[in-house]
Amino acid sequence: MMNIQLTNIIKNWIPDDSRVIDFGCGDGSLLKDLVDQKNVCGYGVEIDHKKIQECVMKGISVIEKDIDEGIQDFESSNFDVAIMASSIQCLKEPHIALRKMLNLSKQCIVTLPNLGFWKCRLDLASGRMPVTPNLPSSWYETKNLHLCTIKDFEKLCESEGFAINERFFLNDKGNKSILSTRLPNTFASEGVYLLAKK
Amino acid sequence: MKTNQNLIEFEGGLDLESGARLDSFELMIETYGELNEDRSNGILVCHAFSGNHQAAGIVNDKKETGWWDNIIGPGKAVDTNKYFVVCSNNLGGCSGSSGPLSINPASKKPYGKDFPSISVVDWVNSQKLLSDYLGITKWDMVLGGSLGGMQALQWSISFPGSLNKAGIFAAAAKSSTQNIAMNEVGREAIRKDKHFMDGDYLLHDIKPKSGLKTARMLGHITYSSEAIMDQKFGRNFQDIKSKIDRDVDYQVENYLQYKGEKFSDVFDANSYILMTKAMDGYDASYATNGDLEKVLSRVKAKLLVIGFDSDWLYPPQRSKEIQLAAMNVGVACSCVILEGRQGHDSFLFASNRYVDIVRGFIES
Repeated sequence: MMNIQLTNIIKNWIPDDSRVIDFGCGDGSLLKDLVDQKNVCGYGVEIDHKKIQECVMKGISVIEKDIDEGIQDFESSNFDVAIMASSIQCLKEPHIALRKMLNLSKQCIVTLPNLGFWKCRLDLASGRMPVTPNLPSSWYETKNLHLCTIKDFEKLCESEGFAINERFFLNDKGNKSILSTRLPNTFASEGVYLLAKK
Repeated sequence: MKTNQNLIEFEGGLDLESGARLDSFELMIETYGELNEDRSNGILVCHAFSGNHQAAGIVNDKKETGWWDNIIGPGKAVDTNKYFVVCSNNLGGCSGSSGPLSINPASKKPYGKDFPSISVVDWVNSQKLLSDYLGITKWDMVLGGSLGGMQALQWSISFPGSLNKAGIFAAAAKSSTQNIAMNEVGREAIRKDKHFMDGDYLLHDIKPKSGLKTARMLGHITYSSEAIMDQKFGRNFQDIKSKIDRDVDYQVENYLQYKGEKFSDVFDANSYILMTKAMDGYDASYATNGDLEKVLSRVKAKLLVIGFDSDWLYPPQRSKEIQLAAMNVGVACSCVILEGRQGHDSFLFASNRYVDIVRGFIES
């Protein structure tokens, strides 16, 4: 579930009347807000049956697909903004997924958990796999395939030629704090990015 | 459930897509529930190839129910306590609406093979006249499965302002080459039946039952799935007492024999040919030279597209094609692929998820 801070950041990045696709749209709450408040033409991609049902009941256009399949099938589509919240680390090939997302959309909003967050480092230092509010599952249950740090992610953006138009760093309370903003690789629990092609 | 059956005459006739004209025609319809005061709670149900206007409720003395009774009724996914549900027998059919069995006013004899070719567009046009007759300027929803889904899709294209929502289930924006091929085998079986008499069998008071039966047997295989046939019949032998034909060995053969026989008793061969030709001929993007996005760009209704994973007649990919084209031109469209062991026929069976999605979409 997305916190208010994060939801507001994302909403502010979305222009009125734009075409939006939300990969991993959950129960459709964000899209519903964007439709109601920003008059967007929105579509959600979701695989969870219960969440799909909630989208349908909200009147949100939802497509039953996993994210990898959605990005593949919609590569030639034309959106203003593509959103992928907390899912990039679950994809088979995140770098290729990002490339394709920037083909199907002018801008991409990506949020990711930061494995460099101090609590994760502490867990690792004590010899355990990190379990935090942002990474809640045990190693044997997690869907995360490709965890990375803020530094890793920005390095990837640089080498792939993705422009980081805006970014915010949130601590584990979901707030923009001075520490999480100044030293994100250690003190941000989550990174929020607005990407575009250079 | 308040059920009414009506035969409605349209004296103004209908200009058909083929260029021919029906100077007048009749539609047999059934309605369930009640139309509200502002006439805003109408739902139009379109039937598939061999269906008819009897979509819900008890339809005969044997207590058999309508073909979509598990979806339509009080408290069901299409709730007749809230909605006024209408289903009409398609033009060219053989269940009461004008078709090959009707009397041709020009010759005073049954039309038979001379009944003009009918298309999905013609059906939708005739249903629009029905809407006008009922005083319904905008349906809350138009929905159907298979050939009925094609009509729902065409409604959203032909009359974008006349419906809020469309439900397109186990359907496609056009028939595939394989669909046409299968239908042609069925038609050939009918044509080669010596009782078909080049389509003039009614004049000789006989029916090409054997051809119809073979066509239907093939049809049933295409509507089913490998898994469900295996589950229902396996390789089990038919017991001797209930064998329809002494040549029958396996249960599946007996089942097809039974279904084919039953169908050939009630269905008209010229209707069979006309209906399958309408199905083969359907291509939503025909007028836009195959550009589905272009033709869908005029759609205003919200679409719900449902495919079924075991359907190999109109496989899930056909549903996904409609969804993609609709999305690319900004048409509101949801698409789910449901588990259904029944193959193409899955749209007739009410799984929990299917019911929830349809109900949720209608109520949204």
